[in-house]
Amino acid sequence: MSFLDVWYFIIGNPVLNVLIALSHILGGSFGGAIVVLTIIVRLISWPLTKRQLKSSKAMQEMQPKIQELQRKYGKNQQKLQQETMKLYKEAGVNPLGCLWPMLVQLPIWIALYQAIMGALATTPESLLGLAHRLYSWDIVNQAIPLSSTFLWLDLAGQGDIILAIIVGGTMWVQQKMTQAPAVDPRQQSTSRMMLLMMPLLFGFISLLVPSGLALYWAASNIIGIITQYFFTGGWGYLKFRSPSQSTQ
Amino acid sequence: MKQPKILLLVVIALLPLILVSCIPGGTQSARGWSGTAVDDGVIYVGTVDGRVVAINSSTQIQKWSYSTDPPATIYTTPIADGDLVYVGTYSGQVLALSTLARSQNLTFPQRGYGEWKWDCPKENAKSNAIVADLLVSEDTIYVSSSNGRVYSLDKEFGDQNWESEILDEKQRKLWTSPVIHDGKLYVSTFDGHIYALALETGDLLDWSFESEAGFASSPVIDEDTIFLGSFDRYLYAVNVTIDSDEPMWKFPEEKPAGNWFWASPVIHEGIVYAGCLDDKVYAVEAETGKKLWEFDAGNPVVSSPVLMDNLLIVIDESGTVYVFDLSTEIENEATPLKTTSIGADVRSSFCAQGSLVYIRGEDNWIYVVNIDMGEVSWKVNLTIEE
Repeated sequence: MSFLDVWYFIIGNPVLNVLIALSHILGGSFGGAIVVLTIIVRLISWPLTKRQLKSSKAMQEMQPKIQELQRKYGKNQQKLQQETMKLYKEAGVNPLGCLWPMLVQLPIWIALYQAIMGALATTPESLLGLAHRLYSWDIVNQAIPLSSTFLWLDLAGQGDIILAIIVGGTMWVQQKMTQAPAVDPRQQSTSRMMLLMMPLLFGFISLLVPSGLALYWAASNIIGIITQYFFTGGWGYLKFRSPSQSTQ
Repeated sequence: MKQPKILLLVVIALLPLILVSCIPGGTQSARGWSGTAVDDGVIYVGTVDGRVVAINSSTQIQKWSYSTDPPATIYTTPIADGDLVYVGTYSGQVLALSTLARSQNLTFPQRGYGEWKWDCPKENAKSNAIVADLLVSEDTIYVSSSNGRVYSLDKEFGDQNWESEILDEKQRKLWTSPVIHDGKLYVSTFDGHIYALALETGDLLDWSFESEAGFASSPVIDEDTIFLGSFDRYLYAVNVTIDSDEPMWKFPEEKPAGNWFWASPVIHEGIVYAGCLDDKVYAVEAETGKKLWEFDAGNPVVSSPVLMDNLLIVIDESGTVYVFDLSTEIENEATPLKTTSIGADVRSSFCAQGSLVYIRGEDNWIYVVNIDMGEVSWKVNLTIEE
């Protein structure tokens, strides 16, 4: 059994079949199936998200202490960084913790990419290849072949600029909500860079991958924003000014 | 310190794209699976590099080769009719190639030799690719297109006689060939319909059939019954004289087969022979849908079986050729008369003449199998060597 066989057995084929079954349940809407799958993935990764949100909330609550440290060690950057990290450590908070849910979702993204391209069967070879990856569920076989149209999107096609903007925009909002402003000026520039770069990169990548995958990212971001809003009770750092900004 | 951090972030952000590019996706590129046709001692086939090739079956020497321009993938099996060879391409063209003009390597099209080219309109569809085999009748060619329509073309000049309505609004893919019966054209669709069209005008007629699942194979018709495979893993028999969405029968009777009936079945003396992607070949009574026998090939049967006198020739995806003698009584499980392996995968349709079977392997070679001897008589590489 090759690595690829194991991959398809554990992740690739379950994602593909669940997606097709959902599509059939939703009256043949493959886009709707992607959105529902996003919700399922979000539910599965909820413990991780919850931890991240808790950490984010803790960081928000720590802001007065951080500002105090800023005032106290403003002139000694090394000390300020040390004290801030100490504070984070004591509170059990990781400022870059938001990356973990993304990394955990990576196998799902890859499986989803494969599922979208496989399920939509853009070539006759893909359609024939699909026969060997489907479960014997009636619900799956009755749904084949699928329509790739959803709203204005061709889910197998690439380069939808509106969707790319939505992906980038929602990612920026979600990150801005969760990312605590850094105190150290060097960290500040990295955080600022990350805040801008990640949405820009994902927006750009959205133009290169099938729209179905970009739809997953957009839906995932929107769900993330909603969850974050209700869990932390507001817009978080989206409305928050960093200590350096507030002192300027 | 700052630069490595930024680099790390760039790598993390690009990771999905990198992985998505490196790990094989669910899609496979369109390579084409044109089958073989033999006419007057010449083998015609489409190649994976977008050429139509004619090979003298006696000398095994290539007579001519025509490269589609721009190069296009070919799924359709060429159809030879007199001095002309008709072929459809994945780029949405139907070509009428003159064997005389191609032998002289003249520029295409040579109208004086009867050559023509027809471009399928794309309209608002994603594709106008021609995947299904062309249907050539007396003076007309019928074409199923990936834009969802069927076209009727004048065989002599390539002029369009008519276009049908969009038959599959949801998929817009007609990857199955139509069939003519009793002055009507029957077309199956991926959204689970069989439509009847008027031969002269392409208008939709009153009769139609609707199934819950899409139809995977092209329909074949015997007397008044259409036989075709479906994505729900059943083989359907539909009577065109009865206006009902209830099929005459569905095979298997109880639970579905192990996979799709992808290839079109063949019918001989009241028995339907159907290859299935569940590795089996089934013989089913055409009248009742009762199973007579089955044969487990051990690999999916992608190509349609071929009948030659009382012999049934089946090729599985791994390239093993099975010959069944239909004149002897077979009960429950069939045993092939002869078995020969060509050593290459097979997905294309194939043809048989005399005791020879002409097969295009997925490795882009033509294999000629002598079923009497049970061996590959000769083979030709279709790939142009650099």
